[in-house]
Amino acid sequence: MPSISLKQAYKHYGDIRAADGLDLEVQNGEYLCLLGPTGAGKTTALRIISGLIRPDSGSVSFNGTDVTHLEPQDRGAVLLSQTYSLFPQLTVAENILFGPNIRNLPENEKDRILADMLDLVRLTKRPDAYPRELSGGMQQRTALARALASGAQILLLDEPLRALDARLRISLRRELRDLAKSLNMTTVHVTHDQDEALVMADRIAVIREGRIIQIGTPEDVFDNPVSPFVANFVGQSNFLIGEVVSKREETTVKGERGNIVLARPCPFAVGEKVVVGVKVGNTEIAKEGEGFFDGMVERILFEGRNLHVDVSVEGVGRFHSKVPSWRLGKLAVGDRVKIKWSADKAVVFSIPEGGLEKELKVE
Amino acid sequence: MNRLERLVAFISKPGFRKGWLGFIIAFFLIMVIVPTVFILTYAITDWNSIQTKVLNDPAVTRMITDAVIASFEIAGIVTLIDFLVGLPMAWILVRKSFRGKEMLDTLIDMPLAVPTAALGFSSAIFWAVTKPDVTSPLGLEIIASPFLLIILLHVVFSYPYMVRSLAAILQQIDQTYETAGQTLGASKLTAARTITLPLFRAGLVTGIILCLARSLSETGGTMIALGTMANAQGFQIGPTLIGTWKALGTSMNPALAFVSIILIILALVLLVVMKLLVMKVKLPAGKVWPRWEKILSRGFVPKSKDGFSLFFLVLFVLVPSFFIFTYVATASPSGSSNWSMFWDSLFASFVIAAVVTVIDLALGVPLALYIARGGHNKLPASLDVLVNIPLIVPTAALGVSLSYFWVGGNADTASGIWLIILAHVAFTYPLVVRNVAGAVEEIEPSYEETARTLGAKPVQAFRRVLFPMIKASILAGAIMAFTRSLGETGATQAVVKNANTAPVYIVNLINVQHDYYTAALACILLIIVSYVFMLLLRYITKRREEVLK
Repeated sequence: MPSISLKQAYKHYGDIRAADGLDLEVQNGEYLCLLGPTGAGKTTALRIISGLIRPDSGSVSFNGTDVTHLEPQDRGAVLLSQTYSLFPQLTVAENILFGPNIRNLPENEKDRILADMLDLVRLTKRPDAYPRELSGGMQQRTALARALASGAQILLLDEPLRALDARLRISLRRELRDLAKSLNMTTVHVTHDQDEALVMADRIAVIREGRIIQIGTPEDVFDNPVSPFVANFVGQSNFLIGEVVSKREETTVKGERGNIVLARPCPFAVGEKVVVGVKVGNTEIAKEGEGFFDGMVERILFEGRNLHVDVSVEGVGRFHSKVPSWRLGKLAVGDRVKIKWSADKAVVFSIPEGGLEKELKVE
Repeated sequence: MNRLERLVAFISKPGFRKGWLGFIIAFFLIMVIVPTVFILTYAITDWNSIQTKVLNDPAVTRMITDAVIASFEIAGIVTLIDFLVGLPMAWILVRKSFRGKEMLDTLIDMPLAVPTAALGFSSAIFWAVTKPDVTSPLGLEIIASPFLLIILLHVVFSYPYMVRSLAAILQQIDQTYETAGQTLGASKLTAARTITLPLFRAGLVTGIILCLARSLSETGGTMIALGTMANAQGFQIGPTLIGTWKALGTSMNPALAFVSIILIILALVLLVVMKLLVMKVKLPAGKVWPRWEKILSRGFVPKSKDGFSLFFLVLFVLVPSFFIFTYVATASPSGSSNWSMFWDSLFASFVIAAVVTVIDLALGVPLALYIARGGHNKLPASLDVLVNIPLIVPTAALGVSLSYFWVGGNADTASGIWLIILAHVAFTYPLVVRNVAGAVEEIEPSYEETARTLGAKPVQAFRRVLFPMIKASILAGAIMAFTRSLGETGATQAVVKNANTAPVYIVNLINVQHDYYTAALACILLIIVSYVFMLLLRYITKRREEVLK
């Protein structure tokens, strides 16, 4: 099963930089999620890998072999589009056999592939149905079977779960990943949904403005974000701008209004201006005890499993916190609360170019 | 199979694809666009002969001015009528459901399959005060003005184009806008006028341009109608003038060139002005007259509007189209008809139409794909604009231009058939390209892209994925091209003197030999053959679809 390597791929459309020095390594049999906001260049990256777009410069290679100038049909990298693009004039079986027919495989082998695929995606009862007669989930499975039957070893998924309703989307996450893994395919899965990426990926590559800004395991990307943008895009974060006042096992940062907060060790010098970021799930609020800030509960949103609590701190801004929903009734709008976090959950970043607000913007 | 695979592999090579694309674009520019407007160079190279033979001859100048003015007046009036009566009809077709709707749908298309030569004769004997030797006992004999008769004739064949274009765009407009307007308190008429109508512009431009172009181009039917009515001596419109002068021989070349240049330039100006006008001018959508529009939305008015639409369709479109059958039933046969000439001409017409259609398909579909899939690149976008030129240029002027481009205006009979084919390709090619490009634009590129990543070469992706989806539009384009070629008189006459195609033969029967009975029989044969052919084509494609399933 091939590895994929994108090196310094550029693709500009006028002023739009869809790929702006894209570097990406996907390992053999890996399930990689390419995560980023709309317009970050996710689909472009996928299309460059598939060969549907030729980069202005840079290279694509599979297993170390340069395929930059290879036509899409010769790459063995199959694309599953958002809308599945099942051929409406063909039945489920004919759709699945599209690839084998193109390759002119012998009849008995085609029969075998078809039977295997129908079995694999649980469509043995509907081989003669037309795509329009199938439910959304069945269409998705047909498209997947068609992709697998083509003999490709690289699977490129462009928001494959987007067109499904919410419950189905969640239940299919597992299935899709297991299928790709069991066939040992190298998979690149594009999504803008951080939950999907966290649950499904071996590794997540966060993309923004045509560049990969961080790549790592879900835990790594979640826990050790390299920038405020990643910290906020993969799980929401609270931020505080301040100045490093001391460095020991933990970093002490003094906010602009004099509040002192603790964070992980950092490479910045004492006196430097920094941003401290901490996930909303790691931001604790309590009515008693010590805290970094004193605030007032402004709003409580019931989310089922969690409560999303907005706390405003005078002169500093608004903090968000996720707390278990058993605390419903124990917290009320107008309550005075302390805000705190354990130092090892807070990450220190340098001040982003153009300011924090621009950094966090999701376009 | 092995040989086929090698062929597929060969034509899938990027080098071959580039070369093929270059060839298609070159064909389009050199064989279609340049010949269509080539006559404009005559004004530079031969200005002297225009000066001496045309501009210094007041009689000739007069004839040209009168004919060109009549042409554009008629086209304008016809288009206006088409719009006023076509809009309610399109509304009925799209928004209403009733028994017999499918039949109505078919009825509207029927005049499209009748060759205009037959329509010309049929309309003339229905409406006009005819020549004494044309005896049509059931004819109304009420129209004595050639100007009026030509308007009535042109409405017959342009009406379906307008209804189709408007219906096509109406189909795409979401009715929920209008419903939303109504829930906000607007009456039906107000909602339709202020919400749906402004969304109509694209369809309106297409409809208007098609009608104008058809009316400006039509030659054979017009000549026949004028030859059948009693007092049409001296009345000419642009294309008939070209036909008449071409028959007089090469001495008229400067005059022919001049009138063609005028017609081409005016047609192109019209195209640009129409596009700008309809896109830029604001309809008074903001103003509302709630009381009056409420009254007009209910009861008598909408019903009478629908009734009038149907009445118009029957009296002004269908009856004049098929009135010719009553003539053959009642008129007394003429003895001296030479049928072998007619069969020869019919055969020639079919061969020409078939070759033209094949060329259109082979070279038009690739161009359509390039235009539709070219994205925002400059080249495909400008080709898209250029495609409209042969559609709007009157075909008679196109014929003159083409003949000047290839043989300097003097065709002999040997090269004749090829010139006719080239001329017919020039004005039918855009029909195929437009139809197919429109269909391809509707289909998401992701289908072909997915096929490519599944291992299909570009030609396989087209053949197995895209082609089945656009088959119907390709067929529609082919039928249009075929029937237009079969019925064309203007370009044929203008490109070759004494051409022998069926419509030209019928024109001669009426205008030269005055053998109306044989002409009518020939018209009916032409109608029958056209219909049989279309049904056959439908049957074949339908059966193939079933086999595919």
